Amino acid sequence: MDFNIVEFFTQTIDLVQKQHHGSIPLILFIGIVFGVIIQWTRVDTFDKIAGFAMLHGFKVPKMLFFSIGIASIGLYFMIKMGWAHYHIKPIMLGGLIIGGVIFAIGMAILGLCPGTGPVAVSEGNIDVFTGLIGGLLAGALFTYLYPDLKAIMGPDYGKLTLAQLVGHDWFIFVYGVALIVIAFLLPNREVEEEVGEI
Amino acid sequence: MNIPKRLGWIPGGIALALLIWFTFSTIGADRPIGASTGIAYMGAWFFGLQESEYFQQIKKSGSWEVIFLIGVLIGGFLTSVFITKTFKFRIVPPLWKKHKNNSPASRLIWSFIGGFMVVFGARLAGGCTSGHFLSGASQTAVSGLIFGGVAIVVLIATGRLFYKNL
Repeated sequence: MDFNIVEFFTQTIDLVQKQHHGSIPLILFIGIVFGVIIQWTRVDTFDKIAGFAMLHGFKVPKMLFFSIGIASIGLYFMIKMGWAHYHIKPIMLGGLIIGGVIFAIGMAILGLCPGTGPVAVSEGNIDVFTGLIGGLLAGALFTYLYPDLKAIMGPDYGKLTLAQLVGHDWFIFVYGVALIVIAFLLPNREVEEEVGEI
Repeated sequence: MNIPKRLGWIPGGIALALLIWFTFSTIGADRPIGASTGIAYMGAWFFGLQESEYFQQIKKSGSWEVIFLIGVLIGGFLTSVFITKTFKFRIVPPLWKKHKNNSPASRLIWSFIGGFMVVFGARLAGGCTSGHFLSGASQTAVSGLIFGGVAIVVLIATGRLFYKNL
């Protein structure tokens, strides 16, 4: 292990500045807003996420489906108007299924995922910090094994969206509204917070 | 002005949708939100794997997501201290106590295993809740929907099998 933190940040910042995906302050801003939303709604807690896995509370899927429902309709027209672009991930069927299974087992046990985990760490959860260390090791091991793992990640069925498959603008309303309706139909039960207040 | 100490799923969901729009827009970052590539990028860097095939593939997204995650840490920390007043060092979550055990050692070991599986799985799948679900499903991406479907079923099955006294 040979890690130089100054070199890490200078090279990382350099890599970011070479791409056209926003300045460092803008990306930090996006991250801060994400952190504020996730912390403020408290969906960064084990109790909310593992609580959904145990079907005790539904705040996480309600918020997730609701935001995707709204975002999908707007995004479709933003892309049509040229204000945004598609960024579709390929259908690597083996990777999606095997990865999805491993990911979800881990998520039910840790009670967090890579986006919400750092928020949980930032508010003092030491257990999630060990989870983050596990995640960093997994990232390194995956990087190391990638040449061998590629074989099970395929076959690649390309980059496809449901909207393209259907090919009509009305579909996006059906899709978005359906997700919003699901969000409202899911039970209102929530896991009560027992600790956390100072 | 009275700032609410908790945000419900409706204002939270609307805020998240606005953030997705901004991040995708050409005046924003012109890319999706993602988190797990950033973790893999950092992990690979810790172990000096910068020359590897995978690191070369992910270094653009990974470096972007590292900056994003630093922002997430700042935003989460400030909110926990000033708005929700929930900042506190703790190890065993209440629900773990109720449905698993009281042992900090057990919780730490399982967290490590869980964290490992989350990132390894996300890298196999090419994304996590942020990349496949929030960003992918918002574009009606078939990959994101397959991942989301598999993940929700397995999440609930694991919740059934791993915890007790449900």
